[in-house]
Amino acid sequence: MRKGALKKKQRQLEELLLDRREALGELVLGMYVQNNWDDDLLARGSAEVAEVENELNELIAGNEPAGPSTTEKDFPVTGEHRLPSREDYPETGEYTAEHAIPETGEHTAEHSLPESAEHDYPPTGEYTAEHSVPESAEYTAEQPLPDPPEERKLSRAEKKREKKRRKEQERKEREAAAAREAARTAAESEEPRTEVVQPAKPAGPEAEKKPAPKPAPTPPSATAPTPSATGPTPSAPAPAAETPAAASAPAGEPEAPAKPAPESGKAIDVPPPPAPPKPEPTDPLDRLEKQIEEHEAKAKTAIEAAKASLKTDTRTELSAITREVETGRKDLDESLKKAAAAIAQAEEKAAQAEAKLLRETAANRESAAEWVRSQAAEIEADAALAAEMSSDGGKSDAGPDPVTAARVASLEAELAAERASKEEALTKAAARLQEIEHNAKLAEARVEAAEQAAAEAKKQAEIDARTAATRAGADKAAEAESREAAVNWLRGQIAALRQEIAKDADKEPGGK
Amino acid sequence: MGLFRKGGQTGRERRAMKDHLNELDEMRRTHLAELGKMTGEMASEGRFDRQKLSEQAAEVVKIDREADLIARGLEEGLTLQELEELARGGDSGSRSR
Repeated sequence: MRKGALKKKQRQLEELLLDRREALGELVLGMYVQNNWDDDLLARGSAEVAEVENELNELIAGNEPAGPSTTEKDFPVTGEHRLPSREDYPETGEYTAEHAIPETGEHTAEHSLPESAEHDYPPTGEYTAEHSVPESAEYTAEQPLPDPPEERKLSRAEKKREKKRRKEQERKEREAAAAREAARTAAESEEPRTEVVQPAKPAGPEAEKKPAPKPAPTPPSATAPTPSATGPTPSAPAPAAETPAAASAPAGEPEAPAKPAPESGKAIDVPPPPAPPKPEPTDPLDRLEKQIEEHEAKAKTAIEAAKASLKTDTRTELSAITREVETGRKDLDESLKKAAAAIAQAEEKAAQAEAKLLRETAANRESAAEWVRSQAAEIEADAALAAEMSSDGGKSDAGPDPVTAARVASLEAELAAERASKEEALTKAAARLQEIEHNAKLAEARVEAAEQAAAEAKKQAEIDARTAATRAGADKAAEAESREAAVNWLRGQIAALRQEIAKDADKEPGGK
Repeated sequence: MGLFRKGGQTGRERRAMKDHLNELDEMRRTHLAELGKMTGEMASEGRFDRQKLSEQAAEVVKIDREADLIARGLEEGLTLQELEELARGGDSGSRSR
């Protein structure tokens, strides 16, 4: 058996061993759960595990197990599990790509092509870009330009030198073009001045003030002409061939400068010759460089676009977040308003309860005073009646000491009346006390209702604040503090009301 | 906010529960394999120690119970605190029994 097959088999056996161990564990677990132990079943399960373990150990030891493996025993005996061997392939027309290719004209890419793709082209005018370029003057950019015969002989170093030389030449041309452009602009700016200034005049301070943008201007002297912008530059000698003649006109001749001026203007007006078209790079390195440059340009464009889109996305996201924050703030404001309204309502209720309580207390006091007055009047009336009766009795009876007897009788009557009145007052006071207690209970119930309303308002405010706080948590602490303060204040109010009620309840029975 | 809430459960809690459930599953497999190995060793010795087997099986049962609890928490969207209370309730119930 091959090493790979052995490893595969070993892996299979390890997996099987693990599976069987787990199955045996499940079996033991089932027995434990049902509390029904079967040693025989355990022994059989263990034997199966041991069988796989032995086979695995033998395989690890290097002994190939003889006979069918335990990994194959698990397959059903249907014949489907084992692929037919080479000898007993089914007699069908089905062949996969792994078998020999039938003798047909169909070939897939996995097999060798019947012939090479590089065969002779048909004698037509059609050539693709992959083949050699036909002998015509038409060349596409994809095909390399045919090198001149002398260039083909150049070595790599020579090619490099040639390339360097060409680059240098291009650079010089560019510089010359730049210099010509600069000279033209300078001449344009200088043209009106040259008409006014006398040509005999040496280079004055005005000319010194406006030196041409040259890299190395010639120092002005008395005899030298004014530094012309079209003068020769060290890097661009070619186009300035005429200008020195114009500039170096004799200073004493007045007509002389008029003539070269149009010449110089003509020289300036002539547009610079167009740069020769960049020759198509023939060197593969050049082509590669060009491709790299193109790719770089594309990548830069893509980066710019990505940056722009990123900026746009960021802005959009920012605006979305801002909108969300604003919505959250609005919700928070609304919930705060609701909480404030609920608190105000609770305050109003508490104030109403307080006013009602005060009214009731005042009414109770008034009724108690009225009752006390009526009691006093009754007592007075009783006393007067008793006095009258005693005086009547004194007049009719003529006892041994009528004055004393009358006094005693009046005192007794007064005492009895007082007793009766006291008893009556006591019963009335008890009834009144009960009534006050009842009133106090009612007031307590009202206070409890107000407290409950406040608690509900607080709960509502909390719920509102919680829903709002999930969206905008910035002012959460401040809102919670204010809510807590409101609730604390409400509690204080309720406690004060309770105290007042208790005071009233204490006062009234004592006042009687 | 609360887009991924299920009941009172946060997404983080649900993820933690799922992770724990996976851990428990792995632990269960390991314990079962150990139990099978132990049984095989006992069979080779020719004697099954039911006490040891019961202890090991009890461990697996514990893992199963915990996994059931976590699965219930996931199914009903319970928070970790609720789950803890539920577990304690179950414990107290089992103790009271």
